[in-house]
Amino acid sequence: MKLWVLRGLKKGMLTTKFPKEQPTQDELSRKSFPPTPSKVSDWERGRLICPTGAIQYDSQLAKSEIDLGKCIYCQRCSSAGFEFPETRDSTSALKATFATNGDSAYESDERLLFEKYSKLWKSFKKSFHVLMIDVGSCNACNFEVLNLSNPYYDFNRLGIFFTNSPKHADALIVVGALNKAMVDVLKRTYDNIPSPKLVISVGACSISGGIFQNTESFASPVRKVIPVDVVVPGCPPTPIQILQGLLIATGRIKTTESFVRAPTDIEETSEQEEEEKNEGSSSFKGVSG
Amino acid sequence: MVHVNYFLFLLFTPSNLSFFLLFTTFSVFCSAILVGIFSSRKIAYLLGAIGSSLGLALSFFILITGNTLSYSLWNITQSSFAKIQISWFNAYFLLISCAVWVGICTYSLKYDDDDNDDDPDVDRSYTGEDREKYGKALSPLLLLTILSMILILVSGDAILFLIGWESMTIASFFMILEGKGVERKEVINAAFLFLAFGEASSVIIMLAFSGIFSSIHSLDFLSVSPSSSSYSLLSSTAAGATLASGILASWVFVSALVGFGLKMGIAPFHMSEWLPIAHSSAPSNASALLSSTLTLMGVYGLIDIVTRLGSLQLWWGWIALGIGGISAMLGALHASASEHSKGLPAYSTIENNGLIIVAIGAYILATYYGLSLLAELALIAVLYHSFSHSISKGSMFAVMGWVSKLRRSFDFNKQNAPISNYTGGATRLGGLFTVLSLAAVPPLAGFVSEWLILEVLFQSFRYGDIGSQIIGTLVGAVSALAAGIIIVAMTKAYGFGVLLSKWSSTSSSASSRAESMKKEKDRLGGERGENFVSATFLYFIVLVLGVGVAAPSIFFLASKASIPILGTNAYGDFVTGLLGVPANFVILSGKPFGGFSPTFTAIFMLGLLVVPFLISRAGGKWNIRRTSGWFGGGLPPKGDEDSVPRVLYNSFGYSAPIKIMMQFLFRTKENVVRVDSSPDRYLVEVEVLDIFKKIYLVLFGKWFLSLSELVGRKLMPGRLSNYIVYIMAALIFVMLYVFATTIA
Amino acid sequence: MLRKFVEQIVGASPISKAIQLSAVFKIAGEHDDDGRDNKEEILAIWADIENNKTILSLVPSVEELGRKPETLLLCQSSLSFLPLLIKSLYSTPGSQIDLDAHGLAEGYGIFTFLYGPVTFGVPEAGGFKFVTYGERIVKVAPTINFKRRGIEQSIVGMKPDEALLLVERSAGNFSASYSTCFATAVEDSLRIETPEAAKWIRAVAIELERIYNHLHAFAREAEAATQSVAANQVHALKERVLRLNAKYFGHRFLFGFNEIGGVKCDLSSREDREELFSSVREIAKEFSEIVDYFLSSRIFLDRLQNTARLSKEDALSLGAVGPVARGSGIDWDDRQSYPIEPYSDIFVPLETSNDGDAMGRMMVRIREVASSTVAIEELLDRLPAGKTKKGAGEKNAEFQSTLSFSATTTTSSLTQSDFSLCRIESPSGDLIQIVKLDKRGRIKSLHIRPPSFANWLSFAKSLEGNVFTDFQFSFESFGLSYADSDR
Repeated sequence: MKLWVLRGLKKGMLTTKFPKEQPTQDELSRKSFPPTPSKVSDWERGRLICPTGAIQYDSQLAKSEIDLGKCIYCQRCSSAGFEFPETRDSTSALKATFATNGDSAYESDERLLFEKYSKLWKSFKKSFHVLMIDVGSCNACNFEVLNLSNPYYDFNRLGIFFTNSPKHADALIVVGALNKAMVDVLKRTYDNIPSPKLVISVGACSISGGIFQNTESFASPVRKVIPVDVVVPGCPPTPIQILQGLLIATGRIKTTESFVRAPTDIEETSEQEEEEKNEGSSSFKGVSG
Repeated sequence: MVHVNYFLFLLFTPSNLSFFLLFTTFSVFCSAILVGIFSSRKIAYLLGAIGSSLGLALSFFILITGNTLSYSLWNITQSSFAKIQISWFNAYFLLISCAVWVGICTYSLKYDDDDNDDDPDVDRSYTGEDREKYGKALSPLLLLTILSMILILVSGDAILFLIGWESMTIASFFMILEGKGVERKEVINAAFLFLAFGEASSVIIMLAFSGIFSSIHSLDFLSVSPSSSSYSLLSSTAAGATLASGILASWVFVSALVGFGLKMGIAPFHMSEWLPIAHSSAPSNASALLSSTLTLMGVYGLIDIVTRLGSLQLWWGWIALGIGGISAMLGALHASASEHSKGLPAYSTIENNGLIIVAIGAYILATYYGLSLLAELALIAVLYHSFSHSISKGSMFAVMGWVSKLRRSFDFNKQNAPISNYTGGATRLGGLFTVLSLAAVPPLAGFVSEWLILEVLFQSFRYGDIGSQIIGTLVGAVSALAAGIIIVAMTKAYGFGVLLSKWSSTSSSASSRAESMKKEKDRLGGERGENFVSATFLYFIVLVLGVGVAAPSIFFLASKASIPILGTNAYGDFVTGLLGVPANFVILSGKPFGGFSPTFTAIFMLGLLVVPFLISRAGGKWNIRRTSGWFGGGLPPKGDEDSVPRVLYNSFGYSAPIKIMMQFLFRTKENVVRVDSSPDRYLVEVEVLDIFKKIYLVLFGKWFLSLSELVGRKLMPGRLSNYIVYIMAALIFVMLYVFATTIA
Repeated sequence: MLRKFVEQIVGASPISKAIQLSAVFKIAGEHDDDGRDNKEEILAIWADIENNKTILSLVPSVEELGRKPETLLLCQSSLSFLPLLIKSLYSTPGSQIDLDAHGLAEGYGIFTFLYGPVTFGVPEAGGFKFVTYGERIVKVAPTINFKRRGIEQSIVGMKPDEALLLVERSAGNFSASYSTCFATAVEDSLRIETPEAAKWIRAVAIELERIYNHLHAFAREAEAATQSVAANQVHALKERVLRLNAKYFGHRFLFGFNEIGGVKCDLSSREDREELFSSVREIAKEFSEIVDYFLSSRIFLDRLQNTARLSKEDALSLGAVGPVARGSGIDWDDRQSYPIEPYSDIFVPLETSNDGDAMGRMMVRIREVASSTVAIEELLDRLPAGKTKKGAGEKNAEFQSTLSFSATTTTSSLTQSDFSLCRIESPSGDLIQIVKLDKRGRIKSLHIRPPSFANWLSFAKSLEGNVFTDFQFSFESFGLSYADSDR
């Protein structure tokens, strides 16, 4: 007879203090931090190096910004002078924000957006059931989302739970680069979730296609198929970052970042889809240079 | 001295109204049979319905007014032959039976429809082989069976009873032969098995009667009314009260239990119940008659004999409890595993009759220990359950038969036709109320009666002996489990038997769907007569609901019916008012024990339905969200008609876990065989056996086969009709013998 | 070209037939030297294979081969999934492949139960078609390719270190194996002298990856048996390994620590290595304690024992790899049987079990956690000194190598255009990658034989005759990943 409970008690508490306190270095990895431009940054070289086109630079328009929705945190741009300090304020890794779905009213006035979501926050405060859907990930995001329930993160303490069926879900966590085979599946799943519902797009792949944006089977960013409410950049985002996204979605923590633009044009026809893809339209701008 | 009263019924006085009604009922049925033979079967069924209504009126008249009917057509000095007697006890059973027969006859008006037999418009190739047309003999046979049952119920002496019993068996036998099984051979096998069990039942009942006869030297011992002899079993000192005593009583009990049990289909004779109905796929109106009222005759005979056997033995109660518990469990499990739209209700009958036997056992034990209140409750529970089971089962066979006719299959797994396209909500509503009643959902009839039976068993602790206490409690647990398992079967019957419509109807174009619907309507003779079916279902709904909600009035009737046995009216002991519920609306199950009010439960449940509805209406707009079903993100299964069963969750899959878990009972064989011609195809066979069938086949099969071969070669190298003549002749011989000895 | 090859094989001896047949796999899906797409030819061959006409008749029987595991695995594991591999390689994105190689069943009451692609029992996009008559699983047809990203096609023409980013994201939880396999194959092809230390560090990463994947599989099994305490404790251990990965390799899933010609992380400090090892040893020790608890839990054992049994014969003929094969008693482990550099120098015990059921596979995983710990100790202890990447030490070398890779390394060594093959024992088994570079040092073709792909058929076979509730246990014991097989 083994006493599992006693064993469990003996282990003590492992759970993170987040969101009451800021996450520790342990809970984030070196590759959880977005690149920071500095004075020595060579934007042109960075643009060439970046494998996903996250570093956008146009010398004529004097446009220089880093699209976190595309960044896969590979740190190759460090050779172009972008900085990734080993120790820094851990809050700078928490980059989850609301997506405005292209509504210009929300873009111009943040309060409108707050009002829109604050109605939902009340009903999601105590019990928030999420369904994860994989639309073409590499399995790393799946692992990290599943990790939310392990003793280190234990999102059940915050009233967030996994569910198996969209009929019971309040929110959809989308991971992976949307595969052509999964477009209809994603739509069906979204349709089956009762309103009010939220969509949380986790990982660079689901936000923009990430490293897979040029593969043959990549359909489009998720937000072009279903309206996305919260985006969590990262490749894969660590559980803390995903947790921050979930807490933002439920109004438990307020974002310090400004609401950023994430235009959505849910497409009707496949022709448009092709055009959009060719344009490689940018989205989500987190850090501007 | 022979004294014959012929024309007394002409004196039209209230006391003779009952006799007038009885005579009219008989006449109507006789003419109905003649009409059925020589003319339209529709008129025959109509007459049958009228006759049943007259019978209903008769039994009500007797039960309400208290004027029992006792009439000897032919008095002989000491005994009487051809004695007609309707006490409150058999009036109650007549009431139940007639209530079911009204429904069955109305239902048959459409179900056994001969109008378009040769309609050239009907597409023969579309309708296929298994068209649900039955032979012309069905209506007279059905009505003859009903008439025989009336004879059984009104007979006051053993000879008339046996004549009714025998003609009922033989008429049912021919009725089963009308069935449309998979193969003709199977139908004949099933019919002969029914006949064999029926004749065995007759013989064993004769044994029981002979035991009684040798004890009291009289044949008019059946259905004695309290006016002729006032006795109570609990103080059964009156010698005339008991039919037999001592070792003879045990003899009578055992042979009565076996003889009537054979008709009730209790374990281990339950094959007699399910096999003819399921294997021969007998006509549904016949199945309803067999399963609801033919088994009721068994209940009637058993109670009538057993309760008046004087000093009841302890072991009788144990045997009845044991057999009843096993029957209930077996019936429930097999019903859950059955894939036959009429086999499932047939097994459910086994379960319900098992519960009735359990209650009879409890009655015997309670009487043995002198627990008068518990004995009263047990008897009323038996009577109540007989009522609720008969009407529910009649309704279930009607619904299942109609849906099977629409689907052209008795197989739950053949989902060929969407029933919603062809028939109105009455079928679905009727099916719903039926299965809810059989699954014992309050406030319907089945719930009240099963509650009563379980309450009786819960009071096993009152028995004066630890052995009886343990057995009673154990059987109570088994019965409760069986009542739970039957819910699985009923869910399955309703879900796969009534509700499920095919998916592919969405894939075919609207015009072709309309066309196929029109064809199907033509096949069923159009709209004509569908009202009769709907009316039947609604009638049964009213019955099932009424018997449940109006429980105190049924209690009143049942307690009145039990006066001839108990000697007292138990109504006041159990029906009262309590906790603000007005008097006559609360049913107690002991003093002090459980109690509830079906009427007020029904009102409360209605409130639960209505109040949220009103609240939601008050809120303004309905907020209805419609999405497609959830199939794990995939598309809903689609396919053409042939492949639909392959992609749909089916009835077989629903009950497969039970078959796999209960492997020791079902002897489930799961064979996955590679089809040798092609390497990529496998054939899967899952086989479920009734172990008793196997035992019969192994133990008796060979023995009987050699015996019957011997008889067939040496004694009866003739035809079937000769054999029937032989049986009748033998019966007449026995009757004459008894008659002669009586006179002497 | 392929036909010629097949014709050559016909007359060969059994052993060489087996080895040559395995080369069919190499060629399958290749472009001809003149750049013409030989897709039609391959599809024709594949049709032949499906019709049992040409190639399958050439498969030597087990007796012929004399039960030599190496030849058996080379031959059989390649051949049994070859048709599917080709099919998968040339499938259009968005189309699904049903692995119903064993056919579907018919009979009274038989229906097909569709499971997936959105389920939580399998937290990935992939489906199953269960042929069943309720509860009992008669046949299973996995449906893959819901998330085929087409990495092999899209990296054609890329520079190897750009391609590395995609390859290591083929299967996130096998990232170290994928990137090491790819890097080794490319280095082999380019004749790059990779520093010893880098190779040893790669092995450390692979072993850490093995540990966390095995812990994950164990925890999922415990979850399926609703042993919440055990599951959560093992999940906590897994989290600790992931944090070790983050601390020493920079990324929780070991993305980006590899590069062509070296590794980006630094384990040169003795203290770091000792700290890393002591952490791993602690985790392994705690895990063994939990396992002791687990082995005394009848409930858990009942669910695993006799579930999803795969016989050794089936495992051989269906080409099972990794813990699945070892759980069925096949002693094949690339670390011993086909070792790349550090593994040829160190001792890694080969763990097998003869049970062939979910329990057997789980025991193999449990013991491999211990053996990986031993391997990590040895690897860290004997880690060769020196630089960990080619040209390390120069300022901005990384950037230099990234941009001017082809310029600096276009030497005579690149003129050869042979295949280079690398096999790595990933957590789920034998991962094969075949890389071909063009003359400019860019990817001409890449072929991946993912371990999960090889195990689908074994999984489908083993599930036959089980009941639905055993599905979760079977699935987790096989350690299958859709991302891996769909790549």
